[in-house]
Amino acid sequence: MLKNQKMDWPFLFILPSLLGFLLFYICPFLTSLRYVFVDKPVNGNFVGMQNFIDLFQSKSYLNGLKNTLIFMGISIPVNIVLSLRISLMIHKMTGQKELFTLLFLIPLVIPSGSMLYFWKMLFDYNGYVNNLLFRIGIDNVNWLGTSLARYVMIGVFVWKSLGYNIVLFLSGLSSIPKEYYAAAKVDGASEIQEFFKITLVHLLPTLIVIVILSIIDSFKIFKEIYLIAGNYPHDSIYTLQHFMNNMFHSLNYQKLTTATCVLVLAITMSTQILFKLEKKVR
Amino acid sequence: MKKKMIHTLNYMALFLLGILFIYPLIVTFTNSFMSEKEIMLHYSTQLSLFDVLEGIKDAFVDMKLIPDQVSGEQYEEVLIAQPSFLVLLTNSMKITFPVVIGNVLVSLLSAYGFTLWQWKYKEALFRLYVIVMLMPLQAVIVPNYIIADTLQIKDSNLAIILPGIFAPFGTFLLRQNMKAMSKEYFEAASVDGASIGYIFLYIVVPQMKSGISALSILVFIEYWNLVEQAVIFIKEYYREPLSVYLSRIAEGKVGLIFAASCVYMFVPIWFLILGQKDLEKGIELSGIK
Repeated sequence: MLKNQKMDWPFLFILPSLLGFLLFYICPFLTSLRYVFVDKPVNGNFVGMQNFIDLFQSKSYLNGLKNTLIFMGISIPVNIVLSLRISLMIHKMTGQKELFTLLFLIPLVIPSGSMLYFWKMLFDYNGYVNNLLFRIGIDNVNWLGTSLARYVMIGVFVWKSLGYNIVLFLSGLSSIPKEYYAAAKVDGASEIQEFFKITLVHLLPTLIVIVILSIIDSFKIFKEIYLIAGNYPHDSIYTLQHFMNNMFHSLNYQKLTTATCVLVLAITMSTQILFKLEKKVR
Repeated sequence: MKKKMIHTLNYMALFLLGILFIYPLIVTFTNSFMSEKEIMLHYSTQLSLFDVLEGIKDAFVDMKLIPDQVSGEQYEEVLIAQPSFLVLLTNSMKITFPVVIGNVLVSLLSAYGFTLWQWKYKEALFRLYVIVMLMPLQAVIVPNYIIADTLQIKDSNLAIILPGIFAPFGTFLLRQNMKAMSKEYFEAASVDGASIGYIFLYIVVPQMKSGISALSILVFIEYWNLVEQAVIFIKEYYREPLSVYLSRIAEGKVGLIFAASCVYMFVPIWFLILGQKDLEKGIELSGIK
């Protein structure tokens, strides 16, 4: 009787969430799958795998995919290294840790819309950065109209999401027993050895969580790019989400859904790997 | 001696970096006290007649920290003269608050369920939540659109609010937070014959304060910052949230953008300052497996 109760009751707690999750995410996704194999959304003919072939021959898709991968490949490591460095600095401080963490957390909560005009004025062709460069005798740099746009966006991304990582790293750092460092000192370990043999090893689980959350965050940078540069930005910041967004607005559901399928596969595989890694380092 | 110096340098470097991080905020705040005229003067890159006469070829944006003359003109315009701004602010609230409250309630229940439930495929189901959580918004927009169409809520805020309430991130965050709670709490209470509902209300929920605050703040900033869904589901100008409106005045009427931005970001910053400790604790625990 009691065992039976243990089986059923918890399920009732999940039920509201599960029903909503199925109704608003899983079921409509499964419904949308019918677009994958047809040539147009209404009264389409069955075309087999043609949409996948078309997708991987589409220049704008490949460009978006490439840019998203490059963006993640640069911004996530840069973000991790920088936030770890700053966390180590805050960790060593004796007071005011809260205040400093707050400074880095503020960009996280500022709505993108509030900063939109500031970024535009900063990086405009006649913007403030170019004004400063002009004063020291450097010609105008086209920040948003050349491949430099990618690095501007990486900068905005790091600015926004550094604080979150710092909080996670600080918690990871404070959970490393101090005795380990004392013991290492006795053995005559250098600071660099300490960092790699103690600090980094203990931060591995934190790192995996940071990577998972950074993937979510790096997808969200689309909002900034979209607000600053519109639907068709410079080639170097045209991301996967631009492609999907534009397909949606041009009612090309079959291409969009096909792209979503590829993404679902990629994300499923990545999480599988990350979860496996997590089990190992724990 | 040497150690102390390193310490001071450490402080200074961090301090400078911190100032650099909130520099955009400082500029937005101080410039919100400029008059419209002064803003045009600093931010317009169009050449005036005098510039041409003086042989200046490029007019640059000049960001000034201190206004020449402190004026409340922008705030007056935004808060008093233009009632539409307050309507838009209310629109943002009408979407954000239901999502925050709904998502916290639903996630709290399901996180508790996931913690207690003993089912073979529980972890597989949870992983499905994580996969959906990782998907970018653009990938779930077609599903969102299909379901809104089926339920015939395409023209109401519900098309945005309902998927928000059931977004899987809340379950993920709160479940990780519950893992940090000691198992004995659950066990002790059930030995005493307390029902699962009683444990939930009187033992689990009170201890989840920081998790709940963290989730509320994170969901709040996400929906306060709503852009993409609004572009798709909200066609009427009077129903738009502030985020979309701000992107439009950045194109044209810039004379009041700094005050409008300040009012808009004041709310989340205020929440952050109130709830910093809880937010940090709630985020920290998402790392526990």
